[in-house]
Amino acid sequence: MQLTGMLHGARLLNHVGFPASEVLGPDATEDQIQDLIARHGLIFIKPLFRGGVGKKGKAGLIGKASDLRTALAEKERLYFAEHRHGNAYAKANGVTFEAGVPAEHEVYFAISDDSRFRAPTMTLTHRGGVDIEELDKSEIATVPFEALTGLKAFVVANALSDIGAPKEIISPLVQHLPKLWELMHHYGMTTLELNPIRMRPGRDGRLMPIACDFKCGFDRDDPRVGRLGLPEQIFAADVSAFEQEVNRLRTHQGQSDVFVINDKGTILAPTFGGGANSLVTEVLGDAAIISSDFGGNPPYEKMKSVAAICYRHFLAQTNVLFIIGGKSNNTDILETFRGMGDALREHFAQYGPTPLYVVVGRGGPNLVRGMGNLGDTLDSLGVPYRFFGFDSAISEVVSYAKNLDLWMRDGGRAEIARHLGIKSPA
Amino acid sequence: MYLQGIADFPYFLGIRSLADVARREDRVCVLNIMGGESRTVTPVSHAYSGGNVVFGTSPGRAGQTLKTPAGDIPVFNNVREGLDAGHTFNVGVVYLPPPSVRDGVAELIRVNDALEKIVIITEKIAVHDAREIRAMGQANGVDIIGGNCLGVADSWNQVRIGGALGGDSPEESLRKGSVAIFSNSGGFTTTIAQYLATEGWGTTTLVSSGKDVYIHYNARDFSHALVNDDRSKAAVLYVEPGGYHEHGVDFGKPTVACVVGRWKSKLTRAVGHAGAMAGSGDRAEDKEGWLMEAFGVDGLYTPDSPVVSAKGAVVTNIADIPRALTAVMKLNGVSPDFASTGSLALKPWVANDQGLALPPELAMPPVTPREPYATQIAVLKRQVGAVIARQTMKDKSGASVMDPTTQVTSVHGYSVLDLALDPLEANFALPLVHEIAGENDRAMLDVAVAAEVNLVGDPILVAADAARDAGNAPNSIMAAAAAIVGPQRVERALACTSALIDLFAHSGLRDGRSEEFDISAITMDAATRALFLASEAEADDPRPEAMLAAVKARGGKSVFLKYLATLNGRLSRDAILAAISLTIAWGPLMRKRISRLTAETLPWYLRLYGVMVGATIPGSHHQPGSLCGIPRDERFGQWTMADLCFLAMTGKKPTRDEALPLQILVGLLISNGPGSISAQGAKGAVAADGPQTPKRVQINKAMVGFLTHTGYSHGGNGFEGMAFLLDQFKDKGLIDPTDPSHGIDLKAMATDFARAYKREKAEAKEIGTEVRALPGVHHPIFKGKPVNYDPRERFIAEFMAKRGDYNIFHAFYRELVQALYDVGASRYVFCVNVDAVIAALLLALLWKDYTSGELTERDLETAAFSVFLYGRMIGSAAEIDDHLNRGRNMDTRTPASACFHVV
Repeated sequence: MQLTGMLHGARLLNHVGFPASEVLGPDATEDQIQDLIARHGLIFIKPLFRGGVGKKGKAGLIGKASDLRTALAEKERLYFAEHRHGNAYAKANGVTFEAGVPAEHEVYFAISDDSRFRAPTMTLTHRGGVDIEELDKSEIATVPFEALTGLKAFVVANALSDIGAPKEIISPLVQHLPKLWELMHHYGMTTLELNPIRMRPGRDGRLMPIACDFKCGFDRDDPRVGRLGLPEQIFAADVSAFEQEVNRLRTHQGQSDVFVINDKGTILAPTFGGGANSLVTEVLGDAAIISSDFGGNPPYEKMKSVAAICYRHFLAQTNVLFIIGGKSNNTDILETFRGMGDALREHFAQYGPTPLYVVVGRGGPNLVRGMGNLGDTLDSLGVPYRFFGFDSAISEVVSYAKNLDLWMRDGGRAEIARHLGIKSPA
Repeated sequence: MYLQGIADFPYFLGIRSLADVARREDRVCVLNIMGGESRTVTPVSHAYSGGNVVFGTSPGRAGQTLKTPAGDIPVFNNVREGLDAGHTFNVGVVYLPPPSVRDGVAELIRVNDALEKIVIITEKIAVHDAREIRAMGQANGVDIIGGNCLGVADSWNQVRIGGALGGDSPEESLRKGSVAIFSNSGGFTTTIAQYLATEGWGTTTLVSSGKDVYIHYNARDFSHALVNDDRSKAAVLYVEPGGYHEHGVDFGKPTVACVVGRWKSKLTRAVGHAGAMAGSGDRAEDKEGWLMEAFGVDGLYTPDSPVVSAKGAVVTNIADIPRALTAVMKLNGVSPDFASTGSLALKPWVANDQGLALPPELAMPPVTPREPYATQIAVLKRQVGAVIARQTMKDKSGASVMDPTTQVTSVHGYSVLDLALDPLEANFALPLVHEIAGENDRAMLDVAVAAEVNLVGDPILVAADAARDAGNAPNSIMAAAAAIVGPQRVERALACTSALIDLFAHSGLRDGRSEEFDISAITMDAATRALFLASEAEADDPRPEAMLAAVKARGGKSVFLKYLATLNGRLSRDAILAAISLTIAWGPLMRKRISRLTAETLPWYLRLYGVMVGATIPGSHHQPGSLCGIPRDERFGQWTMADLCFLAMTGKKPTRDEALPLQILVGLLISNGPGSISAQGAKGAVAADGPQTPKRVQINKAMVGFLTHTGYSHGGNGFEGMAFLLDQFKDKGLIDPTDPSHGIDLKAMATDFARAYKREKAEAKEIGTEVRALPGVHHPIFKGKPVNYDPRERFIAEFMAKRGDYNIFHAFYRELVQALYDVGASRYVFCVNVDAVIAALLLALLWKDYTSGELTERDLETAAFSVFLYGRMIGSAAEIDDHLNRGRNMDTRTPASACFHVV
């Protein structure tokens, strides 16, 4: 859950009274854009990506204009801009028009939780406007601070002294930056980054920090995010209908952290435990449809609901239903297997049978009873299966499932389809 | 702001040695002890740790206790009350829901000065709260472990605190040894301990650290305590991406680190909480690098490339941990703690390939696991056949389903259209074995049913004739007969089946036809043997010998008959029926397609099939040794069920050309899903007996239920189509309805009728009466298009066309729907529906006998009803068996609130 750009950023900063550059959204009229140019001389046109996308400037995706014609041309160029950073790909849908803020100083500021200190940590430099990684460490202040008391003015002042910041920017920053802790801590953020904050001279010559770009990450486990009243769709970047549906069931009792790895995959692997999830996802590679962690002792009803959603979206393409986890500590195997089995039974009843082989690798409380229950269900559906206990290496079981998938692709699927009386296997 | 704990740490750390993580003398208070997870986990922890939980809290539940094998744990509203009651503790365990965790930590710290450690189990704690929790612990000098973890355990001290390391039997996984475990994954903490044992390594302290953004007790903290723990000679570290916790850590003792999660960096967007930590350069690959540097190795350890140093090794697969550790420890001159507990090779515990031939490398046979699992699985295996969960089965069926778009019903996965193309005897077994019978089973079935059809000398025949003479329709006549085939009439056959199942269930027999199966080890006691032998009262019954001879004549194979032959006595008809039934049921029973209950009751259905078909033949045709003049041996040895049905309808054996239409007719009529009246009657009868006590369910009465829920409208109306056709074709001089050169102008006939019908419609409209519906034309689902088709009619029409078969009545129907449209009697071309096909096929079948005067119109009506009953008998058997296996007592009733009163 990330948010970038000033369209929402300016509004969020307003919650704590932090000054921000003036911004117009994609629906701005030509009159409004003209007015913005007239008042500020220079405006920036930036593509509007959902979710978090960084390094737009480097990718040439920030336009500048001091007349309406250029502004509209840039709007046309950037409206559906595509952006690739690492493996991440995003496509814009709209642009923002942001007032240029003339300034001599650009400041980088961020707060995040740093694992080196295990504390909220401020990162600050007066040499902002560039990639922070490009700066020398001596120019950057990285200062952990006390979470209970928060980011205090003196912490900012000390940091600015340490990096030798120009004296004219110290006072305004000391006055304004602590507000950002309020925004970050009280509205469920995990990170907050403003880069650049431009120091705009006021009428009296005193500098005023103006946030000119905004980036933050939200904690989806923190209900405080709701205080901001942000529309849900801004976090829906790249989230499939399946993920939205299944993650709605996310509660603290029984996880349902699921996302799609390959929507053309052929192994549907409900995985139990973060460790198992990592291992399974790694070994299965592209054959895996989803990456999931259903551990945490989900109750029967929840397990059944999650399984039903997974089946509804992906069972038709699945060769191997692969239920995999280590030796569970408290997840009840009978309850979870019963949930998944009953969901499968109901799925077959509603949508008809589908060619499937079920592989299980599991250990934990009520293991044999769980295997017995699931086995009975599969027997009644005519679905073949092989269950491994916890004394088989989990990685070996994953390899077995992969080999079985290859056999399924190589005629096994058609054979099972015939066995189940399915005329045209999906 | 932090209290200084261990000197030189730039933050508070109180745990000096791993031996102090989970001590025997630690005393524990559990917050939210009565929560769902704690309620199951805490009693096990408490008992394993010698009773270390002094009390728990649960607001509003003061005075309650949590029962454990080591005594009850008192519950208080809050921590202060517990302390006031005189309890003392130094460790807090938090099972609170996420939004309450921070406050719980504050309560523990503020209320109890003696607090040293907190273990937080809860997952999905907001980072906001985790920040503050960390700060509280630091400021007050309290070590915190977690959150989102499974707690800590100590195999030497036999203590576990919080969480559920080792599951419900900790002693099984937590074996005393020399290796400490620190794991980001709770589940893998136990799994790693169990894997280590395969190489003979036991454990000291196990820490499930959790993998939230804040790991309150992290790898650096662990490494310090590891060095100071004399018991621990080595460590295993399980690490996921995110955070700098392992960066630059000197573990001080040999360590194997397992780093997973490379795949995460391939993702196209950020996922997972661990990756949410600030900064970059903390991917799995980065962590592998840090740890390889720490251990002085230049590569990852894999079985093929076992790179290790005396300091340690880095693996990416937890299955490699044990061997990597052994290799590292060998360089340190340290041997495993105990003998290997086994290997991690693939060991299937339970498998069923459902009869599919998998390649050998995939078709690994199940192995016997170690105890107690071996015994548990053995108990599972004693279970013969499928186990089916019970549920309310009102208006539901596990046997049949109608596709609402095509109106085609399937029974146990087979569409009635396909069933219509299978031999009748193959379909008769379907409801009960859920599979189409093969050739051997069909032969068996023919013998079994043929042996029940002739009712001479049986009161059933008297009852059936009495019912017939009273003017009843065939359903009531069948019902009179079926009512007499009560439990005592099948008691011995069912007992024989049950005894055979007991004898062979665990013999390894997979196929009832395998006569080569070694039966020498199967022995029977005298009492059981007596069950199978004919009594003196049966001395005159010629059927047992005739049945055995018929099986032989048909080349039927049955291991059960072969076995019964070794009993050296004259077998009863029941024994042979049981053996035949079980031959058919054995494969599906062993493959768990059907339940033992289904297999055991199969003889009842077969007897009912025979009696019900037999009852439709008037009593005068039942003679000793012959039926309708057909001698017993011929009937037993050669006749099929289709032949018997045709015999019942026409009094003679069908020719090959006559058998096919009959088979199609019966097949089409098998089922219309659980909502049909006949199915409802059968299901209601089962529900009323109470399927939860299956022995009390009278299957014959359930058949009666089906029969009484058919009638002149449901089943008997098949004649309407025939009557319509008879009316159209009277005086047309038709000789052979299957001859395309009939010389009749069907188009003109259809047009004439259509015009007359249009007039009739107009007149009816004029005087405001309802226009008569045409049987076999139109359908409420298949309508509204310019030209409409009933897919079932199309299926049969195409099949017949492919064979070059012609049916004039069917052809007339096709002309009729077009003519109705052409003359403007219909707004679009109606479909010819499946009822028209049934009427056309049946009338063609009986046309010659009708025109010759051998059959009357009344006979035609009876035949139409009977053919419906034969088909539906199969479908109803499926519903009865399904409801018997799945249903609950009285589950078909409708609640009063859903009933309506009308005036």
